[in-house]
Order: sequence, then structure tokens, then C-alpha cells
Amino acid sequence: MNGWKENWRQARVEVLQSDYLPGWYATRGRRRLLAAAAAFGVSLFWVDAAVAWISGPGDGPVLVNIVLLTISLIVYLPAVSLLNIATRGVVELSERDLDERQIGERLRATALTHRIMTGVLIVLLVVVLAVGIPQKREFFVPGGAFVLLVIALFMTHFVMPLIVSGWRLPDPPPDDDA
Amino acid sequence: MSAEDVYNRISVLRAERGISRKELAAALGVHYQTIGYLERGEYSPSLFLALRIAEHFEVPLEVVFSLRPFPRLGSG
Repeated sequence: MNGWKENWRQARVEVLQSDYLPGWYATRGRRRLLAAAAAFGVSLFWVDAAVAWISGPGDGPVLVNIVLLTISLIVYLPAVSLLNIATRGVVELSERDLDERQIGERLRATALTHRIMTGVLIVLLVVVLAVGIPQKREFFVPGGAFVLLVIALFMTHFVMPLIVSGWRLPDPPPDDDA
Repeated sequence: MSAEDVYNRISVLRAERGISRKELAAALGVHYQTIGYLERGEYSPSLFLALRIAEHFEVPLEVVFSLRPFPRLGSG
């Protein structure tokens, strides 16, 4: 008898092997558009954190935060779902559900993501130091902005391999010709 | 020819045996798109997969894979 974990795994494999809305990711240009949309969705988390930081402590522009997060999720969720199907779960599935080509592609995407994330962390460090050093002991990051920054960093780290993989993906061969 | 090009006759053997990419992929335990990438020369298999492909078609490895382009049929 299969446990719920096994059932969940099989369900994910089946969904990610399906051809749901193939027109959205049929060409490299469309897949790159989806990758750009996912990146845009994540970038709004950073904008949201920046707005919270600039507005300082207190309630801040709550409406702006809500609008930004809503737009972000509206763009992010469909783009990420379609990218997962387009890449056939290369990033999402466990290794035992992938073949050697897919595992190789995942390793390349992960390696490239590591370099990109190193760049993101360096930029973040430079920004924090550039803002903090002139203010010396007066410097602080508002609690709300700090939380949003951590969420933005987490989301970027979480979705970047999928964006990279979707961006790099070559056009798949025609489904069958036998 | 790049230094790492590996040529193969998977599509010829598959057509000759009348099996689809999905059937071959299922027999080898790989994704069917991987067969397509192999046939297009966009992916070079591991030695293990290459041996399994040759074993599946019941031919020696060098019948399926080569470091040089295979001669066209009828070219002598």
C-alpha cells in the first residue's frame, strides 16, 4: 500500500509530465518570457522591501505593500507553474524521478544559480554598507522591512534555479515520429 | 566537428525496429525527450546509457555510436 508521500510524489510526476497549456511554453521565446515574468514577480518582493525600508518604522504604506504583493503573486504563481511543466520538473522533482540528462541540467542550473545568488548577496551587502556606514550607530533597518527583505531573499533563492532552467531550456524534439 | 561530438544511429535503429521514442524511453528508463535530444546530437549519453541502448537494440556499441559521422546509406 502506497503511503501519502508516495502518492503525492506520483501525482507531482504525472502533473509535471502533462502537456497542460503547451502553447505557453512551446518556443524558447515564450519560455524566456515566462522566466522573465517569474523574475519580475520576485523583483516586486524586493521593491516591496525597499518601500518598507524607505517609509521607515510604523505602519508604513500598507496599501502599497498589499498591492505589490498581490501583483507579484498574480504574475509569479502562473509563471512558475508553467515553467515547472515546461522543464518537466527538472528542478522540482526528486533525483530518482529524473534521468541522467535531466540531473545534469539541474546541476548546471544550480551551479549558475549559485553564481547569480552570490552576486545578489554582494549587491545586498554593498547596499546595506553604503546606507549604514554614513549613519554609523544611528543605522537600523525597520523590522517590517527586514522581514520583507528576508522573504525577498528566500523567494529569489527558491525560484532562481527554475528561472535559470527555463531560460536555458532548448526547444524539445517533436513528441513522436514513429 | 567539435571535440566532444558523439554521433549515433538511434533514430535509424528505432525506425528499423518500428518503435516510438516513448517506447524506447520507457524501455531504457529515461524521459522520452532525452531520446529526442540524443537523436538530434544535442546530448551525449553516459557510458552506462550508451551500453544500455546498444544492448536494447542487440548490436555492438560501435554500431550505435561513433566519434565520426556515420556514412550515408548508399554512399559506398
